[in-house]
Parts: sequence; structure tokens; C-alpha cells
Amino acid sequence: MSAAETSVTARLESMNAGAKAALLTLIVGATCLMLEPFAPWLIKWPAAWVLPATDWVGDGLSWVLEAVKPFARACSDILSYPMDWANVALNGTPWPIVIGIVTAAGWYLGGLPMAALGFLGLSFVLSSGYWFQSMNTLALVAVSVPLAITLGGTLGILANEIPRIKSALQTVLDVMQTVPTFAYLTPILVLFGFGPVVGLIASAIYAAPPMARNVLLGLERIEPEIKEAAIMSGGTRLQQLFQIEIPSASTQIMVGVNQCLMAALSMVIIAAVIGGFDDIGWEVLLTMRKAQFGQALLAGLVIVAFAIIIDRMSGALATERKRYAPFVSWVILGVSVLFTVLLWKYLPNPNDLRFLDPVAETVDQGLSTFTVANGASLDSFKNNAMFYGLLPLRIGLDNAVLPFTWGFSWTAAMSGWLFAGAGVVGLLLAWRGHVTAGLILVILTGILETGIAELPWPFVLCAVAALGWVASGRKLALVSVLLLATILLAGLWERSLLSLYLSGAAVFACALFGGLIGLLCAVSPMAWRVMRPVCDMLQTIPLFVFLIPVLMVFQIGEFSAFLAICAYAIVPMIRYTRHGLINTPDEMIESAISSGATEWQILRDIRAPYAAPSILLGLNQTILYAFAMLVIAALIGTTGLGQSIYLALGKADVGLGISAGAAMAILAMIADRIVQGFAEERRQVLGL
Amino acid sequence: MSSNDTSAITCRNLWQVFGTDAQTALSGALSRSGNDPQSAARELREGGLIPAVQDASFEVGRGELFVIMGLSGSGKSTLVRCISQLLPGTGGEILIDGENVVTASKKRLTELRRSKLGMVFQHFGLFPHMTVAENVAYPLRVKGFRKAERLARAQEVISLVGLEGREHSFPRQLSGGQRQRVGIARSLAVNPDIWFLDEPFSALDPLIRRQLQDEFLNIQATLKKSIVFITHDITEALKLADRIAIMRDGKIVQIGTPTEIVLHPVDDYVREFSKDVAKGQHARVASIMGDSDARVGADDPQLTTSMTLDVALAHCMELYEPVPVRDSAGAVVGTVNPSDLAAALQVEET
Repeated sequence: MSAAETSVTARLESMNAGAKAALLTLIVGATCLMLEPFAPWLIKWPAAWVLPATDWVGDGLSWVLEAVKPFARACSDILSYPMDWANVALNGTPWPIVIGIVTAAGWYLGGLPMAALGFLGLSFVLSSGYWFQSMNTLALVAVSVPLAITLGGTLGILANEIPRIKSALQTVLDVMQTVPTFAYLTPILVLFGFGPVVGLIASAIYAAPPMARNVLLGLERIEPEIKEAAIMSGGTRLQQLFQIEIPSASTQIMVGVNQCLMAALSMVIIAAVIGGFDDIGWEVLLTMRKAQFGQALLAGLVIVAFAIIIDRMSGALATERKRYAPFVSWVILGVSVLFTVLLWKYLPNPNDLRFLDPVAETVDQGLSTFTVANGASLDSFKNNAMFYGLLPLRIGLDNAVLPFTWGFSWTAAMSGWLFAGAGVVGLLLAWRGHVTAGLILVILTGILETGIAELPWPFVLCAVAALGWVASGRKLALVSVLLLATILLAGLWERSLLSLYLSGAAVFACALFGGLIGLLCAVSPMAWRVMRPVCDMLQTIPLFVFLIPVLMVFQIGEFSAFLAICAYAIVPMIRYTRHGLINTPDEMIESAISSGATEWQILRDIRAPYAAPSILLGLNQTILYAFAMLVIAALIGTTGLGQSIYLALGKADVGLGISAGAAMAILAMIADRIVQGFAEERRQVLGL
Repeated sequence: MSSNDTSAITCRNLWQVFGTDAQTALSGALSRSGNDPQSAARELREGGLIPAVQDASFEVGRGELFVIMGLSGSGKSTLVRCISQLLPGTGGEILIDGENVVTASKKRLTELRRSKLGMVFQHFGLFPHMTVAENVAYPLRVKGFRKAERLARAQEVISLVGLEGREHSFPRQLSGGQRQRVGIARSLAVNPDIWFLDEPFSALDPLIRRQLQDEFLNIQATLKKSIVFITHDITEALKLADRIAIMRDGKIVQIGTPTEIVLHPVDDYVREFSKDVAKGQHARVASIMGDSDARVGADDPQLTTSMTLDVALAHCMELYEPVPVRDSAGAVVGTVNPSDLAAALQVEET
């Protein structure tokens, strides 16, 4: 062995894990790029190598589904009874009494502000002319939530009682959280047939996991001494559970009920995509398809009103101890009954009330005037973002730079210069001691030149394995590669990369802007006072509604989808960044001040590193949110897995729906585990 | 400025009031009560505010080890945070080396902290993401020292506190005693003149605590800093202090040398503190010494002024006549009657 060789091995050994992984990834990527002209299969997985896994899944599942079908149909028949009752009850009750009940409940739970919220919210619904559809939606929620609470509660209690169930349940809950909502719908559709019961079942299934999670968490968090006191008091296990433990955990359980309600509402509205039921979600979809954006916005706002009322009231039920005089509630109720009885003859049919139609029309007209007036600038904004941002990211500088948009065409020489420049800066960084950063810079340049949708698959596999290895270890690397290989073999690779590109771009934008806004909110309490209600609002709105405003301004297309994803996924980034930055222990801040650090130095040296795990968790949430929204955004024009899932729903193609849903879940789960791994590593470094 | 020339820290009528609009409330309360702190504090409390430090005045001399002692909630931690300006005081003035830090700009305060002030915290306040060496070098880093330079200086103080070999450990890998050594080293990195220690040893085991107290005294003997040391432990206060200020409910009730505190407590509160203390170990012969021209007996047990009463008593077990007392140079400076020695050590019954 020559001396030079020894020094190279010594060098390699002295590198840290991150640098080694980055170097390996770089070598694989560069090799792929060089071999590309000779081996096109490196980029495009040949169709001949694809296993018909989608069909197998379809056939297998169809067989199972057929077997279960009679039972499912029976369930569906049984469930249609309570649903009809709920429908009759809600639509049969005169509207003043419904408003009265909600207002009275609002008073009891939260005093005047909550009562006003209930009253004004429902009055808005009434005057929008969507009363009937809203009551249909509520009827679905009213039946699915008790189902979900029972199902989730039972699972949570069982998991708490039987340790062996616990880890299995937690895995299942994790998977269910990452499987996109539309993917649930296809098999349920096949099982239960068309009709409102599908939405009911889907929302019960979708809303059960948060309930189960919170019940389990609440039961686990009870102080051991309380449990021991219950045992020493001589209670049987059931007495301990129902008389002591469940009441002790009631706050957490009520948080679960709150989340369960919100999830059910969100899913009921998404399930409207199947159609066949005259509810408010369907109304949004219909008006959106007809490009009646004023009406779509109105219907969307009705959903938002319901979401806010349900969220705030059930939230108060969970966390507020204070209750207000029931007497006032009875008076409100009495007044509403009196109102109904006295004015019975004059009560209008709620569906004839369309006070807000003129508003909707004005919005429509205003919008068309606005788009006509600002069409050029809106278009140029959209086009600039597409041509100079999203497109290069998708198909790479080498394909996106055209004389038509950029004013010149990309040449091989330019690629050479780009790589040379990145290489020089990378070397400079490495020389200054930041070897990993230098390598990553070169890799990122390569990705930008090639485009995410055209990355060679060996490179992606290697990069993910490297990230997994650095974040958590060999096991995660191996599992990630195996799961990705499944996608590759199933022939869903190209669509997966497209999904990865769009959600990646959205996550990047969210991380950048959300991080900056979070920082601003941490520094200035003023900014937080403004942002906080905005964040609350964005988190309460069901996913579906995000599509309306972007569609109004930017029409159907990838850019609108991108904006909708960003609007939904940016919130956790803001929250967690701020939370992490302001929660540095006082004594650390004091010791930094007395070391003579300035505000800025404290932020950079102390607060930011200490906030890193929290910020990473925010990023993790943002990624999951982005994937969730990606599928919904398929409604307004995205390519990739979301579109496949949506198409499968239309064709009732169980195989494609489930496979594409699984691919989506795999991507989300790998991203989740990698970011969690990094967060865990940071936490350990900080000794938390 | 006569007193400022000799004192490192001067506090005059310092107030720290917590609550909304504390400053206006305080000046109002003071003017209404005619500057009587007692009734002003009462008025503030009735108004829902918390007067955590009330009208504190004292001076810390150059090179003096000044201990502030009190139970938890007595305002001692708040007081030291006022002096170090981690909390902006509500009223009164604080001079550090004659410079009023209450009115000093933020920039000037940062400058002062980078050159003149050091602080040690009860729970160490170490930065978990930095190694020992990086923690210690942090004050130099914000000051803009180059890496090699600051690590070299950090190395010096790390050896001073006896942590050689642990430079590259992270705080989580150290024991409590070692962590506080890092805290001490960091506070000394910029070689400050004035040193604040906020209950530095309270979170440690008794054995480690004693060891660190001894080392602390050694370090102080060579460095001669002007120190404000906070503690709730009377034994620690008596062992370390040149002078002690005892705080109760936000007020300073007595300032004095350890001997004065032990032998002449101003009230029952202070007496209660010193009750369980073995006086003989803390009071010195100088405190009960009589005139040098008084009549002395034939015996000379070689007493010196700095002897504790216990040691002195052991020397004159068999003696009944007054004996001479010498200073450190050996000159006779006074006399002591052995019976006075014994009387001073009597534990009070009430």
C-alpha cells in the first residue's frame, strides 16, 4: 500500500458519519449522471421490470372484500337507520330551536362570547341558504362521532390493559395517520356501495385514531399514586378503571373527543367527493366545478363556521373548568321555543332564505373584475414562480431553461460551469472544516441540475439510506430502502417522485417562511398576537376549504395546489419554531446575558440550538400535513400519487387506490422517521 | 465620590417591585409615606404588587467577600439579579466602580459584562450543546476573541478549577460538582473584577459542597475578587464571608462580620439562625478582646487575634487570670479573661 493510499484511508476514517454518508451519495449520484447516456434504465425504471403488484393487491383485496361484503352491506343497512333518525331530527326541528340549543350550549360552556359565536355562526348558516345541506352534514357527524368515540375509546382502554396490544395498536395508528384520506375511501366504497353510509364509515374510521391515542395517553399519564390508592382501596379492576382512572384522565380524553369531532367533520366533507348525498361538502365541490366561486366560498365559509363552533365548544368542554349559569341557557332555549310557536305560520323554509346570494354574486363579479384587471400580473406571478421555481425543481435546469422563458438555452457547458462552481465552493467549505456541508452543497446542485422528477433511482435510494443511517441507524436505512424498492417494483416510482417534488417544494417553502414567521413571533409579542388567531383559524378549517381561495385567484393547476399545500402545512412550522425559541430555560438565558452576549448572539448561540428538536418536530408535522393536503389538492390539478388515488376512487379501482395510498404512506413514513431521528439525536445532544 | 473610590459595589435604597406599573406605584407609595420603607411596602402589597427587595443599602469593598443570606423567598436572588442588572431595578441606585449601572445603556451593560462582571448560577446554567471548553470560552467568543486565543484562556481557568482532561465532555456527562466547576470557570473566563455567585453550591451534596467551598476560598485567596455571594446556609455564610447581610421578607435586617452576627444578633430572627451554630468555631478572639493595658496574669498561652474561641479556650483550659493576645506579627494588642471566653460560648436558652 502506498503512502498516499494510507493517508486517504486515514482521512476517510477521520470523517464523521454525516460526511461519509454524503460522500457515498455524491459518488453514486455522479456515477449515475455519467452513465446516464449509456444506461437509460438508471433514470427510468423499465416497464418490463415492473411487477404487476397493483393488480395483485387489487385481486387479493377484491376477493377479501367480496367475502366481507354481505356483512358490510348488512352493517350499512343497520347504520342507515340511526342516520335517517339523525337526519329527521335535525331537519325536522324548526331552525329557531336548533339555533336556540346551540346558543344555550354556548352560554353554558363559555359564557357570552361562546353564545354569541354559536348564535352568529348559525345565523350565518341560515342566511346562506345552506341550512338543509348543513343539517345533512351534521347528521353524518352526529352518527359517526359516537361510533368513533366508542371504537377509539375501546381500543385505547384495551391497549392500556393489555401491553401486547399496545405496541401493535400504536403501529396501526401511526400507519393510519399517514395513509391519505382518499385512500380509505376506495375499499369502503367497494364494500358499502355508494351513498352517505360510505362517508359515515370513512369518517368513523378516520376519527377513531385520535380518540384512541388520547385515551391511551390520558390513562398512561395518571400519577402512579392515584392508581395505587385505588388498588389499596380494594376496588376491582373495573372499578379502578371506571371510577378512578377514566375520570382522572378526563381532560385528556375530552381533548381526544375534540380532535375526534374535527377529524369526523373533515372526513365527512372529503367523502362528499363520492357524491350521492346532498350535503355541504358536495355543494362546495359542485359550485367549484361550475366555477361559481362566490357560492363555493359561501358554502366553504359555512363549513368553516361549523368547524369553529364545534372546535371551540368541545375545546371549552375539555379544558375549561368554569361553567356558566344553566338558568340563562334555559331562558335562551325557552325564548327560541316561544319564538317558534308564536311565529310558526311565518317561519320561512330555511332553504328559501338566500340573503347572501347577492353577496356571493358580488364576490363572483368582483372576482372576475379583479382577475380581468390584474390577470396579467397574477399570471406573471404564477408563471414566474412556475418557470423559475417549481419547474426547474421538477425537471431540472437542463430541461427547464429554455429560450422561451429564460431567454437562453441550457448547454452542457453551463452544467459544467455550474458543477465546477459548486465544487469550488464545496471544497472551500470542506477546507474551512465543514466537510459535510460542502458535500451536501454539491449534491443539492446536482439535484437542481437534474430535477427531482428525473433523479436516477439508485441515487434516491442511496440518499434516503444515507439520511436514514445518519438520523437513526442501520435499521432505518435498511427499512427505508426496502420500502422504496417496493414502490419501484410496483411501477409507482415516477408518480412518487412527482409527489415528492411537489410536497418537497411546499415543505421547503413552509420551512423557510414558517421558520421566519416563527422567529418573528418569538422576537415580537405583537407579531404573535396577530399570527396566533390566523394559525388557530388555519388549523380549524377542513382541508377541503383551502382549495377555494387559491382556485379563485390562480385557477386549476400545480401552482394553486402548491399554494393550498403551503397554506395548510405552514402552521406547525410557525408554532413549533416560536415555541422552541421562547422556551429556553431562564438560567441559560441569564448566564448568556452575564457572559456579555447581545440579544442576537443569544438567539444564534443559545436559543436556536436549544430549539432545534422542537423546530425539527415542527418540520416533521409540516411534512405530514403537506402529504395529507397533497392528495386533497389532486382535486385541483396535481400529478403524481395523489392523482392516482383520486382516479382510482372514480373507477372504484381498489388495487390502484390502495397501492398508491400505500406508496404515499411509505413516503410520509420514511420522511417522518428520518426527521424524528434527527430530532431525537438533537434531544440527546442537549441531554433532554 | 469618596466612598466610591474604595467600594466595588454600592447599593443605595434599592427596590425591586413586581407587578404592573411597579415604578409609578413605588414612587407614589414612597412619597405618600414620606420615604418610610415599611409603610410603602405595606401599601404596595395591599395594591397587589410584590415588593421583593425593599430599600436595600450596602457597600461591597474591593476584594471583599460579601455574603447575602436569607431563607427562600427572602429576596436574596432578586437582589443579586438587580445588582447584575439581569432585572432592571424598580428604584434606587447601584454603582459598580462608581458607575451607575441603573441608568447605563444596554450596550454599556453588555460591555461591562464582557469585561468586569462574572456570574455563577444555582443550577449551573450550562449550555447543553457546547462542550466544557466551549462553555467556558463562550464569554470570550461573544467578545470576539479568535478561536485559538479563547481556547487557550479557557484552558487556564479550566485548570484553575481542576477540570483538566474534561475539556471535550458535554455537561450531561459530568457530575453536579463538576458542572458547577464549569460554571465557575466560565464566570472567570474574562477575568472579571466583580463576581456574583447565586447559591452556587446549594444544589450539591454536602461532601462535594464542602470541598468546593474550600477550593473556592483558595481561588479567592489568589484572585482577590470583589464578591457578592448568595446562600441560604448559615454555616456556609459564616465560613466564607468577610461580611454578611441577612435578609428577611425583602429587607436587609443586619449587616456584619460573622462574629458580629453570631455574638450580637440584632433580633430574634437572626438569633434563630445562629442558634444552632457552634459559636466557638466562628467567633474569633478579637471580638471579645479587652484593652492591651489591662492587668495580665503570669501565664501566656500564646493567643492570637485570629484564633477561634474554641481553639483559644482549649489553650487556656487551666487558667483563671487574664492573658495577653497577640496579632499576626506577634505584638501584644489586647487581653482576654478566660471566663469571658467561656461566657461567650454559652448557648442562649431562649
